[in-house]
Amino acid sequence: MPADGLGPELLTLAQLLLNGLALGAAYALVALGFVLVLNATGAVNFAQGDMVMLGGYAAVALGHLLPGAGLLLLPLVMLAMAVFGLLFSALAWRPFRHRPPIFGLLATVALGLTLQEAMNALEGAAPQAGPAFVGTGEIRLGPLGLPRAALGIVIACLVLGLAQGWLLGRTQFGRRLRASAQDPVTARALGLPVDRLIAASFALATALAGAVGLLLSGPYFVTPTAGNDLILRAYIAATIGGWGSLKGAVAGALMIALFESVVAGYASSVVATASLYGAVLLLLAVRPAGLFPAPLGRRA
Amino acid sequence: MKRLATLLLVLVATSAVAAEPVRLPILVPVTGFLSLEGTSQRNGALLALKQAPAEPAVSGEVIDTATAPENAANALLRALDEGPVPAIVAPMLGTQMLALMPMAAEEKLPLVTVSGTASLTEQGNPWVFRFFPSDRLAKEAQVRYTVEQLGKRKLALIYQTTAYGQSGATYIAASAKRHGASLVFSEGIDTDVKDLAPILGRAAASGADALLLHLHAGSTALAIRQVASLGITLPVVAGSALHQPATAALLDPKELKGMCAESGSSPVSGGSPALDQFLADYRAAFGTDPDAYALAQYDGTRMLLDILAHGARTGEQVRAALATGAWDGVAMHYASDGHGDMAHSAVILCYGGLTRVPKIVQRYDGLDAG
Repeated sequence: MPADGLGPELLTLAQLLLNGLALGAAYALVALGFVLVLNATGAVNFAQGDMVMLGGYAAVALGHLLPGAGLLLLPLVMLAMAVFGLLFSALAWRPFRHRPPIFGLLATVALGLTLQEAMNALEGAAPQAGPAFVGTGEIRLGPLGLPRAALGIVIACLVLGLAQGWLLGRTQFGRRLRASAQDPVTARALGLPVDRLIAASFALATALAGAVGLLLSGPYFVTPTAGNDLILRAYIAATIGGWGSLKGAVAGALMIALFESVVAGYASSVVATASLYGAVLLLLAVRPAGLFPAPLGRRA
Repeated sequence: MKRLATLLLVLVATSAVAAEPVRLPILVPVTGFLSLEGTSQRNGALLALKQAPAEPAVSGEVIDTATAPENAANALLRALDEGPVPAIVAPMLGTQMLALMPMAAEEKLPLVTVSGTASLTEQGNPWVFRFFPSDRLAKEAQVRYTVEQLGKRKLALIYQTTAYGQSGATYIAASAKRHGASLVFSEGIDTDVKDLAPILGRAAASGADALLLHLHAGSTALAIRQVASLGITLPVVAGSALHQPATAALLDPKELKGMCAESGSSPVSGGSPALDQFLADYRAAFGTDPDAYALAQYDGTRMLLDILAHGARTGEQVRAALATGAWDGVAMHYASDGHGDMAHSAVILCYGGLTRVPKIVQRYDGLDAG
């Protein structure tokens, strides 16, 4: 690898950072969806990782139907998953909306496991490769080789994250969504369709998960259990970022991915995992409310 | 007249008994994390049953053992509830086999399996018969090829941190030492690690002259892809996961170029009329390509069916025949080493870069002779 002014160590670090950033961006979208549902319903959606898995299989199927569709697949997968999100909310949240949040949590666990077994029965346990979202290979920037897949993930996640921020912060729909999440009783009294807005939160979160499923299925494949480790990361990201904080979830997700890539690059993946959880424990001891604690009543 | 009636009654009763098929339960993990390999195992057994000798009639009943040991134990109890059986096609998952072995000894039932877990046949249980090279033999082939054929002696090893991975890593380390090679890099990764670039980068920078992989299918495919994309030029000799058509299907033929792997066999590579026939029959029956597990279970079940055709009906009779007999299967010649290990050969296969069908470049017979 030619150095061209950059030392090999610096090049290695740059590659590790880019890979970490790509994974972190994907984890961040999963965590954003997780927090979105958490704030809307007060319940943890343990099936968010399985939605990513389902999005991956949707991408594989659509990739076969529309070979070479590339970028066009993203809105298609997100649309399909948003519709599934509405169905999911009807099954996992609506029947239990007047019960304590633990009912909703257990419903998401049950539905997530059902999805895993269903995909195992339909597609088998073998990994499947999704379509290449933005092609394969590298883009050379001098001595630095930037994998197209990693760049595509970073850019797509950035665009989607910003779009979600705009949707929630700058539109009437977003304001209604946040109002119903903050105080559903008052929102309902003011005539807001709270149940429909919560269903929309599920649809949005599931669409984001679907996007991640598409983005990861190409370079990292998809299996029926692929969502298990993602939901763990989303949960940790939400916890260290600040329970209910969107920007905290993003920061937490990036931190996890940087540990996985950079620490693993200089030590080992076992050390990376151990030191990540050590850092999480330390952080929670110092800042129990997380990096960006969301003020009560101002979530979403 | 009375005698004739009695004779008729005896004949009717005998024919009724004769018409009753011999039951052969097929206990395999067709759901859960091992369902890809478990489905291959099931298909191999079912294809053998489909081609069984006309007498005796044998009925195979597939029972899913998923992945927990207790599931396998329950599956065996369920199979035995419905009457006596002469043998069991037993799951390839080592932990499930360990749960079944004491039960098999108590019931005097031979377990015919393709599990690679080496310790199964090291416990003095005479009811286990393995038709797939154990991890110890497979890893011996992997290291021997790297050292003897590639001439590499400074090895980097990346293995999975699961029981399968750690067991294989131990055998690789022992085999490398035996062959005068050293492991200059050895590190485990969890199955959920997606970015393998960091570990591959360190392995390449370790001074190693060859890279050995002992990973599950998904991680193997990720590693191969990232080796190609990082431009790592070390020769790669992977574990048997790479020989599976489903794993190769994840990768572009260019990414596979030059990559090698150990396996019990490589049915898609063909190489003999019997293998070509098996490949055609399997594809016709299941619409997919077979892997080495399917072929091994096919061979094991064919030997079992032959033993039944020669009159064995009880577990003890079948055990005696398996322990003392031999079988020229499609993949290799099988005979027990006295501990229930029937398979003593392994192959090394390599991909040329134009297709996803590998070529067998080396065959090792009598691997455990020493």
